Amino acid sequence: MLPDSSLIEIPSSKRKSETRFDDLALRREFSANVVGFCRWLRQQGSNVSAPEQMDALKALDAIDLLEEEDFYWSLRTTLAKSNREQEIFDEHFRRFWYVWDKADQLSFRDEEETEAPTVIIDDRPRKQKYLTINDWLNNADQASEEQEAAGYSPFEVVTERDFSDFFAQDLDEVARLINEIGKSLAVRFSRRTKASRQRGPLDLRRTMRSSLRRGGELLDLAHRERKRQKLKLVLLCDVSKSMDLYSRFLIQFLYAFQSVYRRIETFVFSTSLHRVTEILQTEDLEEALNLMSVTVPDWSGGTKIGESFGEFVEQYALSLLNPGTVVLIISDGWDTGDVDLLGESMRIMKSRSRSVIWLNPLMGNPDYRPSTQGMQAALPYIDILASAHNLSSLRRLVRQLAKVQRGRQLRIDMTPRYGT
Amino acid sequence: MQQEQLQRLQQLLGEQDYIADRSIVMSVYLAMTLRKPLLIEGPAGVGKTEIAKVMARALDTDLIRLQCYEGLDANMALYEWNYQRQLLHLKLDENSTRSLEDREASIFGEQFLLKRPLLQALTHPKAPVLLIDELDRADEEFEAFLLEILSEWQITIPEIGSIRAEEPPYVILTGNRTRELSDAVRRRCFYLWIDYPPYEKELSIVRNKVPDVDAELAGQMCRFMELVRQQKLEKIPGVAETLDWARALAALHQDHLEPSMVEETLGLIFKDRNDVRLVRESLTDFLGRLGIQAKEMKTAEESPTAAN
Repeated sequence: MLPDSSLIEIPSSKRKSETRFDDLALRREFSANVVGFCRWLRQQGSNVSAPEQMDALKALDAIDLLEEEDFYWSLRTTLAKSNREQEIFDEHFRRFWYVWDKADQLSFRDEEETEAPTVIIDDRPRKQKYLTINDWLNNADQASEEQEAAGYSPFEVVTERDFSDFFAQDLDEVARLINEIGKSLAVRFSRRTKASRQRGPLDLRRTMRSSLRRGGELLDLAHRERKRQKLKLVLLCDVSKSMDLYSRFLIQFLYAFQSVYRRIETFVFSTSLHRVTEILQTEDLEEALNLMSVTVPDWSGGTKIGESFGEFVEQYALSLLNPGTVVLIISDGWDTGDVDLLGESMRIMKSRSRSVIWLNPLMGNPDYRPSTQGMQAALPYIDILASAHNLSSLRRLVRQLAKVQRGRQLRIDMTPRYGT
Repeated sequence: MQQEQLQRLQQLLGEQDYIADRSIVMSVYLAMTLRKPLLIEGPAGVGKTEIAKVMARALDTDLIRLQCYEGLDANMALYEWNYQRQLLHLKLDENSTRSLEDREASIFGEQFLLKRPLLQALTHPKAPVLLIDELDRADEEFEAFLLEILSEWQITIPEIGSIRAEEPPYVILTGNRTRELSDAVRRRCFYLWIDYPPYEKELSIVRNKVPDVDAELAGQMCRFMELVRQQKLEKIPGVAETLDWARALAALHQDHLEPSMVEETLGLIFKDRNDVRLVRESLTDFLGRLGIQAKEMKTAEESPTAAN
């Protein structure tokens, strides 16, 4: 986890610095650069806020600046607040301070590492397939205004249509509806329920209060009720080629959901697994989609569900799954991976969570049977198997999730439903 | 000057048998100097909680611990009224002619107040170390409530009024990543991630904490732990488990890892049935990779302990 010590070679020579700067000048120099460093970290996707920048500057006062290691650790302690941020920090620390080092004409070693940090070039080719949805997203505001002006509501028309049938001009409306569903789901989940029946442990505080009104006689016993546990959601979304048409909508759905409802962890997978919770939390949707398409190397590639789930179980199941968690898998089950591993991973997920829901857009087709090897291996561990191919199926999902929330045990919904 | 303080801190940590590398020392030092809460995350059993204990001893102050769990609410963390005493008081007061207001005021006084950890920490005469352990187990509502206290160092008890800390406590928060802590909490704290220690560090921890363990045995044990932590286990053992194991083997007067002894003591290291099974099945392989098979045969021939 910790970077090797070669990383910690910032302002390169202690002796040189001492001869070049008096302490105050040195501190001023450092402060200015710490501010620059914070800005740079933000550009790299780290969430460094103003108070943290202040903390970092205060920390500089508390340490000996010429101790390179202390300098490194104090900035890291004050600026990098999660594993992800620590990774970003470590990746860019040396690069930044090394360049600064060079700018100050102190000695430097590696010639090739002298690229200026302010120039950030993302030369990874954007996925061609992504352009259409991005274009649409870029123009989203404009288009929806036009539609409102025309008083056109395609609501009923689009609800039952399969996502794959949409034309570009419908996308805004679909997006809006998906957002709406996602948000209503979130609201439903976060609403706290309170039963009127009195049971549960005594609420002595209230009992005492009410008894005082009666001169200290204990007539009524007040009860407390345990707050109902909110569900947590873990989403595993297939973004392989065969899911292309659906996953974008589903990610939009997740995004809408997540923007209101925070107890959610999101992963996408194709041939391997990627955690995108933070991407979806911190960026706006357009940026999030962009970021995902560049950070997920095999977007729109093949599928290895078994391997991806195996990775999930190995890395996250222990910490993320518990009896209050619902696992939501979105995939068509077309798999080229390890089927045994898929089954085994599903078993573990099922045993550690409240329920496992599998959304399969192919279920929208009346002739579909979950007969692929992958689906067969997964079936025994699925509580709800449902379609998610159009808006009304997403609505139905909201209702089903609400049942899970109320604690009802669900049976596998094996009949593909289409229309209403 | 800073260097002196840092060295003193490292020395103090060392005196408390805590082997701290520079990252830990710096984080603790900054949290103490700038009076900021320090959030420590990492897998179970790597010594997160220990840091708070050591810090309290280093500062020569009290440690107040709040163990978080699901359903923990503000009342249980902050204060509660002593109802039994209140009732008794009311009973004894039954025939007095005092007004209702007077009686109410008298039973909601400080003498009936039970201070829970957070209130204790706020009202402690000398700034204590407040350990908020496994915050990720508590609900998000509690996390939000905690934020308020940590930034204001003040709480309001309706019957008594506001209580403000004269000496804000030093705060350590820990988490196992059972759940992601909110960004708001992270932003308000300094952050330290502690991982499983590398071999050398674990060895020096073992030798420090269990001085009577044989040096060679300690080395073998730490190699063994390093190896098993690379396996796919349900519960990867932490340093705490290594120490338990070292104490046990020291008590059994072992001076090297013997396959049969390892097998019998697996339960000390692995706390999951499947893990025990998995390690038992590949035990010969593991020990072989540590070169222990050969060693065992050699010691069997010339072993002086065999006679005991």
